[in-house]
Amino acid sequence: MASEGLSYDGCNFFRQRLVLSTLSGKRVKIKNIRSKEDDPGLREFEASFIRLLDKVTNGSRIEINQTGTVLFYQPGLLYGGSVEHECNPQRSIGYYLEALLMLGAFMKTPLKATLRGVTNDRTDPTVDLLKSTALPLMKKFGIDGEGFELKVVKRGMAPGGGGEVVFTCPVRRTIRPIQLTDPGKIKRIRGVAYSARVSPQMANRIVDSARGILNQFLPDIYIYTDHMKGANSGKSPGFGLTLVAETLNGCFLSAEMTSTPQGQGDPVLPEDLGRNCAKLLLEEVHRGGCVDSTNQSLALLLMTLGQQDVSKVLLGPLSPYTIEFLRHIRDFFQIMFKIEVQKPLEDERKGGDKVLLTGVGVGYSNINKTLK
Amino acid sequence: MDGKVRKPKQHQQKHSGPQAEKKKLKKHGASTETDERKRNPKAFAVQSAVRMAKTFHRAQDIKAKKHHIPLVDRTPLEPPPIVVVVVGPPKVGKSTLVRCLIKNFTRQKLGEISGPVTIVSGKKRRLTFMECNNDINTMIDLAKVADLVLMLIDASFGFEMETFEFLNICQVHGFPRIMGVLTHLDSFKNNKTLRKTKKNLKHRFWTEVYQGAKLFYLSGMVYGEYQTQEVKNLGRFISVMKFRPLVWQTSHPYVLVDRMEDLTDPEKVRIDPKCDRTASLYGYLRGTHLKNKGQIHIPGVGDFQVKDVNFLPDPCPLPDAQKKRALNEKEHAVYIDLPASHVNQLQAEMQPTTELVQSLIDTHATLDAKMAASKVSLFSGSATLDPTDISEQSGEQALWDPKTQRERRKVLFAEEMKDDDEEDDEDEEEESEGGDEGESSGEDDLSEEEDNEEDCLSAFLKKSRGDSVKASGPPVKKSKVEAESERPVFADSEDELEMSEHEKEEEDEDEEGRTPCFILFVSTGALKWKENLQLKASQAFLRQQESAPNLRKLVYGSVVEVEDDEDEEELGGLFRVSRPQNNKRFQANDLDSSHFHPDTTHNWDLEEMLNSIRDCFVTGKWEEGQDAATLLKEDEELYGDFEDLETGEVQKGQKSEADSDDDGDNEVEQSEVKMDEEESRKNKRLEKKRRLKERFNAEYDDGDATYFDDLKEELQKQAELNRAEFEDVDDETRVQYEGFRPGMYVRLEISSLPCEFVTSFDPHYPIILGGLGSSEGNVGYLQMRLKKHRWHDRILKTRDPLILSLGWRRFQTIPLYHIEDHNGRHRLLKYTPLHMHCGASIWGPITPQGTGFLALQSLTGIKPNFRIAATGVVLDLDKSVTVVKKLKLIGYPYKIFKNTSFIKGMFNTVLEVAKFEGASVRTVSGIRGQIKKALSTPPGAYRATFEDRLLMSDIVFLRSWFPVAVPQLYNPVTSLLLPIGQKDSWSGMRTLGQLKHDLGIRYKPNSDSLYKPITRAPRRFNKLHIPKELQKALPFKNKPKQQQPKGKTSRDLQRPSVIREPHERKVSKALLQALSTVHNYNRKKTHMVQHSKHKEFLKEKGKQEDAKLKRQKEARKKLYRVMGQMDQKKQRSSLKGQPK
Repeated sequence: MASEGLSYDGCNFFRQRLVLSTLSGKRVKIKNIRSKEDDPGLREFEASFIRLLDKVTNGSRIEINQTGTVLFYQPGLLYGGSVEHECNPQRSIGYYLEALLMLGAFMKTPLKATLRGVTNDRTDPTVDLLKSTALPLMKKFGIDGEGFELKVVKRGMAPGGGGEVVFTCPVRRTIRPIQLTDPGKIKRIRGVAYSARVSPQMANRIVDSARGILNQFLPDIYIYTDHMKGANSGKSPGFGLTLVAETLNGCFLSAEMTSTPQGQGDPVLPEDLGRNCAKLLLEEVHRGGCVDSTNQSLALLLMTLGQQDVSKVLLGPLSPYTIEFLRHIRDFFQIMFKIEVQKPLEDERKGGDKVLLTGVGVGYSNINKTLK
Repeated sequence: MDGKVRKPKQHQQKHSGPQAEKKKLKKHGASTETDERKRNPKAFAVQSAVRMAKTFHRAQDIKAKKHHIPLVDRTPLEPPPIVVVVVGPPKVGKSTLVRCLIKNFTRQKLGEISGPVTIVSGKKRRLTFMECNNDINTMIDLAKVADLVLMLIDASFGFEMETFEFLNICQVHGFPRIMGVLTHLDSFKNNKTLRKTKKNLKHRFWTEVYQGAKLFYLSGMVYGEYQTQEVKNLGRFISVMKFRPLVWQTSHPYVLVDRMEDLTDPEKVRIDPKCDRTASLYGYLRGTHLKNKGQIHIPGVGDFQVKDVNFLPDPCPLPDAQKKRALNEKEHAVYIDLPASHVNQLQAEMQPTTELVQSLIDTHATLDAKMAASKVSLFSGSATLDPTDISEQSGEQALWDPKTQRERRKVLFAEEMKDDDEEDDEDEEEESEGGDEGESSGEDDLSEEEDNEEDCLSAFLKKSRGDSVKASGPPVKKSKVEAESERPVFADSEDELEMSEHEKEEEDEDEEGRTPCFILFVSTGALKWKENLQLKASQAFLRQQESAPNLRKLVYGSVVEVEDDEDEEELGGLFRVSRPQNNKRFQANDLDSSHFHPDTTHNWDLEEMLNSIRDCFVTGKWEEGQDAATLLKEDEELYGDFEDLETGEVQKGQKSEADSDDDGDNEVEQSEVKMDEEESRKNKRLEKKRRLKERFNAEYDDGDATYFDDLKEELQKQAELNRAEFEDVDDETRVQYEGFRPGMYVRLEISSLPCEFVTSFDPHYPIILGGLGSSEGNVGYLQMRLKKHRWHDRILKTRDPLILSLGWRRFQTIPLYHIEDHNGRHRLLKYTPLHMHCGASIWGPITPQGTGFLALQSLTGIKPNFRIAATGVVLDLDKSVTVVKKLKLIGYPYKIFKNTSFIKGMFNTVLEVAKFEGASVRTVSGIRGQIKKALSTPPGAYRATFEDRLLMSDIVFLRSWFPVAVPQLYNPVTSLLLPIGQKDSWSGMRTLGQLKHDLGIRYKPNSDSLYKPITRAPRRFNKLHIPKELQKALPFKNKPKQQQPKGKTSRDLQRPSVIREPHERKVSKALLQALSTVHNYNRKKTHMVQHSKHKEFLKEKGKQEDAKLKRQKEARKKLYRVMGQMDQKKQRSSLKGQPK
């Protein structure tokens, strides 16, 4: 066959490449993975990610050289089904889950993934955040139904882990195009203040401080406190806050903050955390758009994989991750998005510049699903 | 007689009486009541609710059945030419028909036609005619791209196999429109037989296509052509025909190639005539959007990666939408490639090149160099080449109507000749320079170009937009560097830069295209396009100026590399420059996280910062149109019947304000303002009306709007959006966003084509470039549902190679047939069932589920039978298969205990046994058992328990399912690579039967497997021997009794027989008779007595019974009465109320 693979350098955007490769069926070769560092090659968490990918696919071929600096990946077909994975605690479950969210709808059989590891940490979007923003976003693309759920069974904070998340996703043959150009006004703010293996009072302190800031804008604020006990609280202590702003048109903007892991860095006061997280949410509101900054790439991917129809989405400023994702989409699917900047009007007080992305889907259809 | 014709008696109408009254009433009633239902309500009254429900249900069912799933209409505004394929067996008149149709549309006569011919048939329609030869490969390929099929049938002969084969091919690959055309009707002398044949053929055709399918009759030939009127009618039918979208065609881009050009370096070809070729293929893009650098499949050649795609001006453009009834003759443009001449040119290229060529060919093969090289090689081919030469060469082709051609040519060369000459001159200068400098000329070009680009880039980064603003000029040739610097080019915007580059290439290609190998009727189209450029560019520039940073460039980068030192620049405080991988090594190994860290400059403690997002919340300020207050007011305007006064006042107030404003301005403005005001008022009115209507519709029509309607409306909206979104973007950019859209005339460059593709190129065979979806270029296992075609005369054998046509591809593969058992197991079959579907698993190209396929056993030779062996559909794609076949493992008992036996011979090692522990086994006689544990010796033996004791003669077997591997054969049919004239002789792997036949091997069966007459020796059983001791102990019942045969009775025990005397015999007879008579009489008498007694008794008994029943009835009656009274009493009391 004449299909040529793609070749990349470095371990950054590792997941994007493998996910897009799996979806497009193009093989990919990643070279020079940390080749100049003292500790060259793939890290544990990346290996764990590859293992997860291997579990949900059938017939993938993965070749890694001796030092782990070169990876060759020939994708198989997405299989799905019941998958259990022990996620490496170097990264939180969000790292793995983001990829599964992208792949979930294109499996042969509905996916039921049980992921164990760190549920909340500072580097990756936490499971709470993904649950409250990514899922409603995917529903707009027609991925919904009974079996579409993300459940946090156990919570596991940063260094130790021990959390458990169950993600189930139904299978779709095609994805709907979307027109998300008007986010609407924010009508309510919800949130979860969680704590594990610390005083349950922590959560309340977080809530108070966060409300202090957000109440200037909106009265409809409710932040749940979620204190996990016993076996459900994982192995390490910690606490954090996830805030989600819901608009009238059903768009979700979110922000989150987690305490520093035990024994790493300075400990954080819950009040500070609450305040900072609220500010982060304001920052996110300032950025605006119909999709929050974490899920930009997910929205763009689903737009790309739609039918050959025009999809539009209004985003806040593109994050570097998204920019790279757009480039990768061009590499794998030969799709470019029309990017227009929408400057706010002079008398408007709606935050910064917005970006309107317009693209035509590639006409992707799920080739894994069995026809009966 | 005629005078005596008697008039029949007239009917006398009654003018009075009840009859007349009734009639009168009826007449009046009828005039007032037109509705049947109202006039005669009784007849339409509901007779039966059930039946009414049923009829309603049925009506709804019929209504629902009519619905198709609505699809988004993705047809482009300017659709590609419709592919009209003319099929039929040889000598049926295909070429004549094509010629006649072309003549009909264009008034031009074409001689020999080879390959597709495109013509403009109307204001909005173009047609591409393609003749399909009798090769099944061609039939399959063309069925996949055809929009309309003209199926020619020789009426004097009737249907031929090819016709039915083609119909079946069409059915599998999506059914295009099919129109039958009967020819050779003049061979019928008898009018009746003609009519009969026509009818028969028509009905047969209808059963194959659909009832009422159009069948055309071409009655006869006049001077070797069909009758003008009939052709004209056919042409009309074709030009108004509507088409339904076919699934495969609408989801894949494809090109029916008009023209092929070999771009291979002639030097390379000279060194190695068998080297891989680079060719560019031209044609209209159809189907859907084509992405650049995508994968394509060329049926008959193979899979290729497209090296480059660009669009060219339409060689056969649609006439502009003017208000004209009909096209004048000149507008019926014709576009034909001339592949035959191309072949000639190839031969010319193969001649040894001149020194000039050798000195100029740049091995580095930059685009420029390649262009130059190809051009020069042309020179070498035909000594000197200038425009006149071209015209001469084309003039030799007798295909054209000389008048039209000259005209067109004139247009082409009048404008282009000049710059052509200039360019050529310059080129020559350049080349001579190049000759002096050696091979560096190409590189020079490149570096200069780069410099130029870098300049542009830095200009961009410094945002010195104002300085470098210049008007865009016509496209510039790369070689003229000085000229370029003078020429106005946008230096600040990347888009423009890219575009201009493209133009350059475009230009180059145009030039290159001006070779003698083809006649391209491009003239005004191309130039118009170029003329527009300036305008477009300036518009684009203005747009660019408005939007601050060029985001597109930031994200997608550009051809020009940005310098490294300005890496970390932040643009507009919004976007950090994030670099493409290659430049930024250190970023390549960064942390991979989707978090977007907040801007540190924002301090959310400040009030102004907080204020900047106030309006994002529902508590903030609302827009004009959405504010609750304004909405309320609008509602009042709409519905404020009684509040009219109030609102009127308000409006007045506004108006007066406006008036006062107007007073201050001068007249012109005033009038303008007035106009505006009027307009705005009108708009407002319209808006109001629309809203009112919308609201009304929402309130009252909601019941009618079904889910189906909603869906349709939604899709309609989407289609509109799809059309409108990129409408105002220029093609260069548009192509990047949505890909090349169908209807464009594209040029695809493909490298690494096998040399046979070029050397044995036959224009009569269509070249199709079929675009492949995202993972359709991969191979894997396919599970399909397959059914042997009912007209194919033999069943198919598992593991016999089969040629499939699936998607764009034709390939040979080895299928395994299987059937699904009730428990979901796929059991291997040795042969396909006769009249049933079965599963088939193959190793082949990944193709979306639901795609149909057809199977052939061989492509070569002409066989009388139907060639399509099977048809089916793809069900599932996977990287592994689940087909199993039954495997019986056999073992023999070597030691038998009670229910336990030791079995050997089934396995070879202990390990194998361990794997099967717990598996169930069975003997031939049906005794079931289970494997327990392996024995140490002999290896492979095991202990098993059974439900009964085994015999040593028993055979134990274990029924298992063994996964079967599907052979990984994927052999694309490369029929296009075969030498000219032998293209229908592709033969791949042979089937087992064929191999045996060819090699003369006869099947030698195992002599044990042969059937022999069964001879069964009668079985002898030994006597049951019971020891004497045991016999003694047994009870009598169980003692063996008839064991020993009775011995002979001794003489003394035998009784002597009595023989009577005659007298004795007589007496005994008479006496006995008398006695028996008496006895009989007595018996009869007593019986009579008994009988009568019993009768009496029964009578008596009956009487008693009746009396008893009567008594009981009385009693019951009494009882019921009492009960009824009680009930009544109770009820009465309950009606009165509950007793307290």
